[in-house]
Amino acid sequence: MPPESLTNEAIAERLTSTALKSLKKGTIKKKNLIYLELNGCSGNIISLLNGQNPDFEYTLNSMVDLKFCNSLMAAEGERAIEKLIKAMDEEYILAVEGAVALKNNGLYNIIGNWQGKPLTGLQAAQMLGEKASHIFAVGACATHGGVSAAKPNPSQSVGLQQVLPNKKMIKLPGCPVHPDWFLGTLAHLLLYGEPETDNLDRPLMFYSTLIHDRCPRRPFFDRGIFAEKLGEKTCLFKLGCRGPVTRVDCPTRQWNGHVNWPIGDNTPCIGCAQFGFPDAMAPFISYDTTRVVKNE
Amino acid sequence: MNNIEMIRMQINYLVTQARHDIYTLSTLSDTSMKPQILQRLWDALSTIHFLSDWLANQAKTSSHNLSSQPSIPGLSGALYQSQIPPITPLPTPPISQSNQRTFTIGELATFTGKNGRPAYVAVNGIVYDVTNNRAWAAATHFGLIAGKDYTQEFASCHAGQQSILAALPVVGRLV
Repeated sequence: MPPESLTNEAIAERLTSTALKSLKKGTIKKKNLIYLELNGCSGNIISLLNGQNPDFEYTLNSMVDLKFCNSLMAAEGERAIEKLIKAMDEEYILAVEGAVALKNNGLYNIIGNWQGKPLTGLQAAQMLGEKASHIFAVGACATHGGVSAAKPNPSQSVGLQQVLPNKKMIKLPGCPVHPDWFLGTLAHLLLYGEPETDNLDRPLMFYSTLIHDRCPRRPFFDRGIFAEKLGEKTCLFKLGCRGPVTRVDCPTRQWNGHVNWPIGDNTPCIGCAQFGFPDAMAPFISYDTTRVVKNE
Repeated sequence: MNNIEMIRMQINYLVTQARHDIYTLSTLSDTSMKPQILQRLWDALSTIHFLSDWLANQAKTSSHNLSSQPSIPGLSGALYQSQIPPITPLPTPPISQSNQRTFTIGELATFTGKNGRPAYVAVNGIVYDVTNNRAWAAATHFGLIAGKDYTQEFASCHAGQQSILAALPVVGRLV
């Protein structure tokens, strides 16, 4: 048998456990992390909290020093923003989830008050982004606008890169991001530096293969056997499955503690880890392609 | 030999191959071969999964109809060969010159891929069939719907990537 597990989850697990061991031994140093939540649903931090044993907050705090996180920190109000401003005095890694709202100079997304004035997501993204040693755009909204920027986009939301055009960043699309994609990339950064990325700045170790190429229902596609309605066990392509255009490792990684994933539960892939989601991935489900409607 | 017996033989063959691949992986010193062997293992497992589902369906329906068993598409030829060919996507249908019909933009608009109709799109005056193209699930592609001329869109997104068009079956010309 191969000496080490070759599964996808094993890769992320190996990375995080190696990072934790190296930190304990002192061969690598802990870095500060600022986790900023901007215009979005906080789905990514919720997904991350759903991580494995030991729980996410423990993993995160033992791998890095979490200096600021809208959802996880105990401080509130101006005292929380004070911590955020203070964290900028030292070197830090910046992780941003949510889009940047541009409407009314950013006033559609206020993350707190600083010196009596509202601090907008736009200000925070630019201020923190300029000084960060490394930047992670976490989830669909941060990487390309995502759901926050879906039509008609009343807040004029954009992806993080648009307000930091000259900064290099690692993009982790997904709605939400899988805990492994974030923790694995973070561990890689601590251990070996920035991971290898594709031309869209996505780490190759998680985003290199198409869902379609690893789909357990691929033999049905190859033989032209398509499901006509949800619940059928054959290929969901004619219902609008976006697996053929979505590059990420869901079929082998799986969700909720590596239990299952959308196609495993009989629903088509909606392409949430693809740039352009959700508008460009619509319609998510289509019932009129294979079915022949009478009198038409 | 009936169909079920042949499926069993195929599954046995795939299991033997998978065992051998696992053994090879465990003794492998040249890691360059690893991705290929893993891919073959994956394909073998996928096919076993497909065949077992098919067998389960047969078992379900056999109580109703024992005499006639429909043949399984794309497999019967492979069963008699000593080497199981890798799974490949269905070949695109050959382009027959007699099929070079012409379309007006109005006619093209009816080929939306809806209600069982094929999905056609036009680029640079050529009409292509995207019905079973993997990037056109539900006859849509990144917000575009079938039945239209996408010359501009193709140029703005896939400029110079003629190989994409070369892989599509041609159904006619746009006039």
